[in-house]
Amino acid sequence: MSLQWLRQRERGSWIAIQFMVWVALRLGRPAARTLLYPICVYYAVFSGRARRAIRQFLHRVLGRRISWRDLFHHYHCFASTILDRFYLLAGQHHRFQVDVQGAELLTNYLNRGQGCILLGSHLGSFEIVRAIGMSRRDLEIKVLLYEENAPMIREVVRSLNPQVADTVLSVGAPDTMLQVKDCLDRGGQVGIMGDRLVQHHQTTLCKFFGTLARFPTGTMRLTSVLKAPVILFFGLYRGGNRYEVHFELFAEQVILDREHRDQQIQQWTQRYADRLEYYCRLAPDNWFNFYDFWSER
Amino acid sequence: MALTDALPIETEVAKLIVQTLNLKIDPAQIQPEQPLFGEGLGLDSIDALELSLAISQSYGYQIRSDDPEIVATFASLRSLCKSIEKNRTK
Repeated sequence: MSLQWLRQRERGSWIAIQFMVWVALRLGRPAARTLLYPICVYYAVFSGRARRAIRQFLHRVLGRRISWRDLFHHYHCFASTILDRFYLLAGQHHRFQVDVQGAELLTNYLNRGQGCILLGSHLGSFEIVRAIGMSRRDLEIKVLLYEENAPMIREVVRSLNPQVADTVLSVGAPDTMLQVKDCLDRGGQVGIMGDRLVQHHQTTLCKFFGTLARFPTGTMRLTSVLKAPVILFFGLYRGGNRYEVHFELFAEQVILDREHRDQQIQQWTQRYADRLEYYCRLAPDNWFNFYDFWSER
Repeated sequence: MALTDALPIETEVAKLIVQTLNLKIDPAQIQPEQPLFGEGLGLDSIDALELSLAISQSYGYQIRSDDPEIVATFASLRSLCKSIEKNRTK
C-alpha cells in the first residue's frame, strides 16, 4: 500500500518512474530532489485518500492542527526515501550518512551462525536496512514483501539490482515459509513487516496511539513456528542524506502455548504495536501507511 | 459426508493437521481431495510450514522448499499422504 501512488496510474507512472530513475542516476541527487517538489505538490493536492490518512495520523501523534506544510513535508519525506532507494539499489551507499544503533546485537547472533528474524514496519525505509544487511556478503538475506508483488516496482528493482530483487520472497505460495525456514537454518536473516502481512483477514486488535487498530496475527504465528531470535528494525529518514537505523531485541524466541494461543498472539502483537508507536513518535513524518490504519475493515 | 473412502493414513494425517494447527474442526471433515490451501481448508503458508515440521517429526519426511513437487504435495490431503508414504523414514 505504501507505494500505491507509484503504481496508481499504470502507464503514466511507469514512464514517470523510469524518468525519475534516469534523472536520479544521470543528473544526480540534487537535481532529482528538486524534481520531488512539484511531484509532492501534485500528490498532496490530488491524492485525497492518502492525504486524509496522513492528516489523521499526524493529528493523533502530534495532537494539533495539521497544516499543508506538515502534509507537504510528509510527502517529501516519503518521496525522498523512494528516490534514495534507487541509489541504494544502484549500490551508491556512500551518498548516505547512516547512524546505526544496536547493530552489535544482530552481529553477535549472526557471527554465532544463528539466523535472525528482522521485524520491521512501514515506518521509514527498509531499503536502507536491507543495504546494511547486504553489506555482509557472506550472509544470506531474504525479505518477505507484499508490495513487491506490484509488477512495476518489482521490475524497477530488478532492472537496478537483480541481486536485491532475488532477496524478495513473495508472500502466498505454500513453500514461501519453508524457504524462510531454510534461510534461517543456514544462519541467514529474514526481514518481515509486522504491520502488514500475508493474511489480512487474520488480525488481532491492539492499542495503537490510544485507539484499537487491526494488526496481522501472521507475524507472531510465523516467528513462533520459526523459533529464531526476533530483532526489531527501523530505518528512519532524518532529512538531507541522513538515516538513522535502530536494531532492538524483540524476543529471544516467541513462544505460544496451545491453550492460550490467541491471547498470547494478541499480547506479543501488542508489544510490537507499542514499540512501533514509540518509534512513530520519534519520526512521525516516516509513517508510510497511507490508508486509514484504524479502519474497521 | 463421512470419510468412507479415506485411507488409514489419510485419517491419521487429517488428525495431525487438526492437532498441529489447532483447527476447530473434526478431522473427519477434511475431504481427501479438498484443496488444503485457499478456497478449500483455508490454510496459509505459515500453516504449511508448521505442518511440514510436524510431518518431519512424525514421519521423518522432510519437505524441502526446493522440491519441485511441493505445490502438488500440498494440493490436498490425498496428495500429501501419497508424498508421505513415498518418503517416510518412520
